[in-house]
Amino acid sequence: MQKAAILNASDVSKFYKEFCALDGVTLEIRQGEIASIIGPNGAGKTTLINVLTGLLRPTAGKVYFKGQDISGIGPQKITKLGLARSFQLLHIFPEFTALEFVKIAIISRQGKGIHLFSSIDKDKEVKEESEEILHMFGLYEKRDVLSKNLPQGDKKLLDIASALALHPEIILLDEPTSGVSTSEKNRIMEILLSASERTGIKSIVLVEHDMDIVFSFSHRIIAIHHGKVLADSTPAELEKNDEVVCTVMGQKECFKTFSSLLSGSREGSKRK
Amino acid sequence: MAFKAQLTGKIMFGIVVGVILFLFPKIASQHFSLVMLGFFASAIAVLGFNLLFGYTGLLSIGHSLFFAVGAYTVAFSMRSSIFSMELILLITLLVSGLIAALVGAICVRYTDIHFSILTFAFAMLLYSFIVKFYYVTGGDDGLRVLMPHLLGFNHSAVPKMQFLMETYYYYALIVACLATWAMWRIVTSYFGLSLKAIRDNPVKAEYLGINISRYRWFAFIISGMYTALGGALLVPVIGHVDPTLSHWFQSGQFILMTVLGGFTYFLGPILGSLVFTYLQDTLMSVFQYWRFFFGALLAFVVIVAPGGIMGGIDSLQKKKKGGV
Amino acid sequence: MITDIVVVLGSALFYSATVFLVAAGLQVVYGVQKVVNLACGSFFVLGAYTGSTFVKVAQDLGLHPILSFLPLIVAGFSLFFVGLIVERGLLNFVYKQNAHFQFLLTFAIALMLDDVIKFIWGHAPRVVSGVYTAYGRIDLFGAAIPGYNLVVILSSCIIAVLIGYMFSRTRFGKIVRAAAENRYMANALGVNMNVVFAKVFTMGTVLGTLGGALVIPSRAAMPDMGWELMMMSFAVITIGGLGTMKGAFFGSLLVGIIRSIAIFTFPKVELLVVYVVVIGVLSFRPQGLFVKMD
Repeated sequence: MQKAAILNASDVSKFYKEFCALDGVTLEIRQGEIASIIGPNGAGKTTLINVLTGLLRPTAGKVYFKGQDISGIGPQKITKLGLARSFQLLHIFPEFTALEFVKIAIISRQGKGIHLFSSIDKDKEVKEESEEILHMFGLYEKRDVLSKNLPQGDKKLLDIASALALHPEIILLDEPTSGVSTSEKNRIMEILLSASERTGIKSIVLVEHDMDIVFSFSHRIIAIHHGKVLADSTPAELEKNDEVVCTVMGQKECFKTFSSLLSGSREGSKRK
Repeated sequence: MAFKAQLTGKIMFGIVVGVILFLFPKIASQHFSLVMLGFFASAIAVLGFNLLFGYTGLLSIGHSLFFAVGAYTVAFSMRSSIFSMELILLITLLVSGLIAALVGAICVRYTDIHFSILTFAFAMLLYSFIVKFYYVTGGDDGLRVLMPHLLGFNHSAVPKMQFLMETYYYYALIVACLATWAMWRIVTSYFGLSLKAIRDNPVKAEYLGINISRYRWFAFIISGMYTALGGALLVPVIGHVDPTLSHWFQSGQFILMTVLGGFTYFLGPILGSLVFTYLQDTLMSVFQYWRFFFGALLAFVVIVAPGGIMGGIDSLQKKKKGGV
Repeated sequence: MITDIVVVLGSALFYSATVFLVAAGLQVVYGVQKVVNLACGSFFVLGAYTGSTFVKVAQDLGLHPILSFLPLIVAGFSLFFVGLIVERGLLNFVYKQNAHFQFLLTFAIALMLDDVIKFIWGHAPRVVSGVYTAYGRIDLFGAAIPGYNLVVILSSCIIAVLIGYMFSRTRFGKIVRAAAENRYMANALGVNMNVVFAKVFTMGTVLGTLGGALVIPSRAAMPDMGWELMMMSFAVITIGGLGTMKGAFFGSLLVGIIRSIAIFTFPKVELLVVYVVVIGVLSFRPQGLFVKMD
């Protein structure tokens, strides 16, 4: 039974002069699923995210969100349509406190951004919701700390938290656990999943390098290499795909290593 | 609580400042009171400038455009037999708002260098028009402007100095206070926070659904209106208008005032314009090449103390508390 | 008809030659240091005044008017030390700060230079007489083109060729190009960025002062002569594209021609006409006509 596709790319290519970043990418993200995009560095993952989120216009092909053509419409418009995104490289508001960081997302969602004379401090509703979100991400105690002074992992969480505060239908996370210690990674994923549930997110797309995370949490894995889709299948099917495993993992004894990783983590599979 | 003490301290300080401002014409000499009037006008002008620079991250080096627009609106209104200052100020806001909307629509689509260059171009274009079309504008010599009617009263019978010290001083003070309060409301509003987001990270702001071009445009319009208001308020004091009001050197003064006071603080530009206005007054009478001094001052602040005076005070306070 | 075109072209190319020098100075500095030098107009004025002084001295010493362009060129080059002082003494300290502040510093330098010029030479315009006419006029298709204009156009072309040669063939040119592309990489490879920055800024300064000096025989040196040229130079680098020499060259040609046509048809608004074109270019190709988009 196929669920409805919420976001899909149809034969998308992206060229930078002669360099081909994406080559005929076709994929679908369905409602209610967690999809991971994997691939070696330079495979085109971030370019793909940029195209899927309307920041870049594809050279060929189209991107559809909820049936609407969103190719290159720009991040502002697509956010209003119900899509949110976090960044691989840190994208924060350095001079904002953690609380303000979440507040601005909520304010934007509520369309209040244009109010010239209403004071933010007096808005209890926004304050309460912001504090709730900060609690979810374990950042409540640091709510008055300036973003630029937060540790790396917290900055990442804040980026994700503000994206979630938009109550999007689908969220795309570009390497949410990179730059964070291994013990922290699972914590971030748990927070992410529970927060997503509470804010009513229907689908999650992850770009990830950490195969443990990928295989534990995803319903589907899309492997990208040299701008092409190598495979698009469930984790179980993917482990049988030697080509993908070896290309993406780049190891000689990849199948064996990989398979042991898989059997080890499948016990505690966290996806729903 | 420490916070409450801080707040009380600020309120006390505000009251003291308020009293001083109120009593100023009674206690200080005529000359200095006149200088205060210049301060009120430029304070409003730089509040507008810094909305764009400090809060939105757009550096306009042509804000003198609006200063001149405000000033010449007063001149032309008086020539068209509109004498009521309130009406003139309203017309100034409307005219400058319109011009800012048009100019802004072109400029805000670009950032950084292109934005700055375009603002510079518009200001100097106006300057050259004022000079070239002298039969309308009075050219280099400018136009003389008589005293408008405040709140319906015609003060032309009163000697000018006396008028300025008594009635106009308080008029300007009230306008300045209202303008400052309004700007405070704006920067602490949802709009203000959105502007700061655009300043700090336009890409992330877009991904939060903020329409950065439109918000920048609104900020540009408000900013232009404020600077024009400042220009309009200054005209009755100096009694005439001339093209130098639109010259890039005037823009430079606004920038210096803002950076000198501290562009990351709300009160920074106001403090900067106070210091600058008095410095200018003192230096102009003593030193012919005071522009050099101001250039050097700007260079000094940029290189050594980009946080301005308020930034300096802040770091001194931090050192006292033993902080970073 | 042909006469008109030649007249317009003659004055256009003369203006283009002047603007090119200033714009080239801007491009070279922007390309490497990523700073738009707001003091370019002041360097131009400085060059003009210095040129006028050098020519006067030369004339007093009995130099034949036709050789007058020599003291002008010497004047332009001799001001290199100003660029050096400005770069090492001031700009050097703000490279690590954000772009707005670097820009503001050049603004401050412009303010200071303006008063320095007034201090040395006063407010009154300075005219250099006898030089312009010494070159006579050349008859071209019925139009009388001042000989001096051709000298300046030729000089500018030579300089353009020299710059082009320098960037593509010499070792220094290659280092500068590398530094422009990626200063950190160049630094890591052992290039002394301080030296490169100093040399490049000095070069930019000299281009500006040369432009001012060369213009002197055709007009009076005035304190206010800089800003209009500054605006035209900005128009050139915006139309041509930031950081490219080709952009400076063809942009100057375009601006010179547009301006001359405007003066010929709708005088007083030539500045506006040029900027309408600037806005037009920005709307369709914001990166400029000669810069490739990635």
